[in-house]
Amino acid sequence: MASDIGKVRLRIPSSIKSDDVVKVRILVIHPMERIERDKQGKIIERNYNYIDKVLVTYLGKTVASFDTTQNVSENPFFAFAFRATDPGQLKVTFTDTTAGKYEGTTDIKFS
Amino acid sequence: MVTRRTVLGTLSTLGVVAATGVLPARGAASAQALGQQETIEAAMKRLFGGRPMKDGGSLIKLDMPLIAENGAVVPLSIEVSSPMTAANHVKHIYVVADKNRIPVVTRVALTPAAGQAYMGANIRLGETGDVRAIVEQSDGTLLQVKREVKVTVGGCGG
Repeated sequence: MASDIGKVRLRIPSSIKSDDVVKVRILVIHPMERIERDKQGKIIERNYNYIDKVLVTYLGKTVASFDTTQNVSENPFFAFAFRATDPGQLKVTFTDTTAGKYEGTTDIKFS
Repeated sequence: MVTRRTVLGTLSTLGVVAATGVLPARGAASAQALGQQETIEAAMKRLFGGRPMKDGGSLIKLDMPLIAENGAVVPLSIEVSSPMTAANHVKHIYVVADKNRIPVVTRVALTPAAGQAYMGANIRLGETGDVRAIVEQSDGTLLQVKREVKVTVGGCGG
């Protein structure tokens, strides 16, 4: 399923009012390779492909950023909150150790 | 009108952009250092340098299962009661799993724009052990909560 790597999904509540604190759930399809060891238990040195940075911006300003290690599950899921002050774009950028960059955006609208 | 001077000016601005473009790469290197194979004591010392840590049981809500059947995917969420103003907000939330060979799971940096100190993630747990949520507030105070999670099948591979 290598072709699915980097698919980003954002889930926001269906109705958002101005100045609400909104909880957002995000997911990216990514293998998050685990460390492999040889028979002696020594780590096999190579560049493991996993996401080490997640950046969330809203209206161009950083809301939260996650520094992650391989202890995060495959197809990582994260959640965070932000205060919806104005309609605009919420953007999530995932970066992995092979310089892969996966982005997901959603427009915040008030109902 | 394009003169030699304007061309040179544009080129030097481009140079600055290229130089700042190097910064994220450096950030990635430090994130790699975040996850090291070490004991929990070494990890705590490296991250917090022996700074005093208070019990955050009244402020931090760590929500995760008591028994994780599959250590590969353990859902977890952390909520901290904080006003999240510029003067008083939660700066970082750390998730640390004591028994994992690489104890540091994730570090979340929050800004007042978050409105609420909340994070969730699916993490891997190698074996039964404590999971800690450590909160660093904007004034530097450290708060910690611990919860033991029983893991039926480990999820960290090697």
